[in-house]
Amino acid sequence: MVRFEGVAWAEAISIRSYGVRIGLRTDKIGALKEFVQVLPPAWKPLRSQVVDRMYSILVGGNGAGRTRGKPNFVYADGKPVSRTPELHQAVDSFESDLQLFVAEMSPHRLFVHAGVVALGGKAVVIPGRSFSGKSTLTRELVRAGATYYSDEYAVLDTKGYVHHYARPLSIRENGYLEKPKKYKVEAFGGRAGARPLPVGLVVVSKYKPGAKWRPRQLSAGEGALELIANTVSARREPEKVLSTLNQVVASATVLKGLRGDASQVVNFILDRLGR
Amino acid sequence: MISKKDHFTPKARQEGLVVQELADEVLVYDNKRFKAHCLNQTAALVWQHCDGKTSTKDIALALEKKSGSSVSEEVVWLALSQLGKSHLLTGRVIPPAGGAGISRREVIRRVGIAAAVGLPVVTSIVAPKAAQAANCLPSGSSCTSSVQCCSNLCNTNVCA
Repeated sequence: MVRFEGVAWAEAISIRSYGVRIGLRTDKIGALKEFVQVLPPAWKPLRSQVVDRMYSILVGGNGAGRTRGKPNFVYADGKPVSRTPELHQAVDSFESDLQLFVAEMSPHRLFVHAGVVALGGKAVVIPGRSFSGKSTLTRELVRAGATYYSDEYAVLDTKGYVHHYARPLSIRENGYLEKPKKYKVEAFGGRAGARPLPVGLVVVSKYKPGAKWRPRQLSAGEGALELIANTVSARREPEKVLSTLNQVVASATVLKGLRGDASQVVNFILDRLGR
Repeated sequence: MISKKDHFTPKARQEGLVVQELADEVLVYDNKRFKAHCLNQTAALVWQHCDGKTSTKDIALALEKKSGSSVSEEVVWLALSQLGKSHLLTGRVIPPAGGAGISRREVIRRVGIAAAVGLPVVTSIVAPKAAQAANCLPSGSSCTSSVQCCSNLCNTNVCA
């Protein structure tokens, strides 16, 4: 663990996000705002200095001028998260680490890696990890009129209701090696939702070129397993996980299948839940 | 406890398990192996009767009473085989004398395809670690394996 003796912290902030307390400090004036831009949705400033995790950023260079070649360091509780030549990469790694920490440690919410939209007063949850096509499907549903809730996490409360996690949609347009671009939901003609909703439909799909969408309905238990497979805190708090997901699958329909073009699934969902 | 086939009294494991009952199924999380299991209705009924005192014959009778139709003891042994493989029982499951094991195909052959719908099923997954259930790491992030990185390459503990 690194001790930051001799470091003069120029800027600092404490926040609370989904019940998790985070501290953030940098050694360069003006750098903090870059990191504040990527804080999780619905964060609030915290007056207390007592936090669950402290992020320390040692700002290097951006490849130009006197600081050229000096790396940027991101630490979480003194442990290295990243070392990068470019500041934007440090911001990306900070965002990724923070997001995961909040998702795992949130005391009153359960985070399932999923896209979420709303139709007809019910949430449609699309669980899946990176490159499963969930963001593409989420985007197409928003374009078709669904209300945007998230392309990253289904944030569930203990009653199984989904809360919004409305950060900009991340879309990879040219394959997995490309860094995803971020788009506000309005760019797709959509709007973001805010009201917690019960889950009406869970769509477990994996993209395969040329595949036809012929889903089978899963039992409640099978559906719960699909959600557990994408739950961030599955190992840390299994009691809460099983209890919360039981609430979800008790009333939601869970469908699973391969899909080709997203439009097949979009039309299917719109027909099922109403346009 | 194991003696003769007719008096085998299986016992469900309790330690290190989190159990959640659904309408017709049971979810079980194994804290020791980080595995989650879904027991369908038949498997759940068998498991719930595994109290260390009830024989396989009596478990079959209990299933008959619940379902209203005849249930072969082989169905119970099929469930026990799956439950044993999933580490949800204490002790070893020793199949009836003369049998190397109970296969689903063999039971279907004996009970008929119509009864196959009610056969016990235990579905299992390995619960993900937190990082596995999240997005990939961007370039420059610390990593321990390539699968964590968006680039699919972890080079000297840094994502390429």
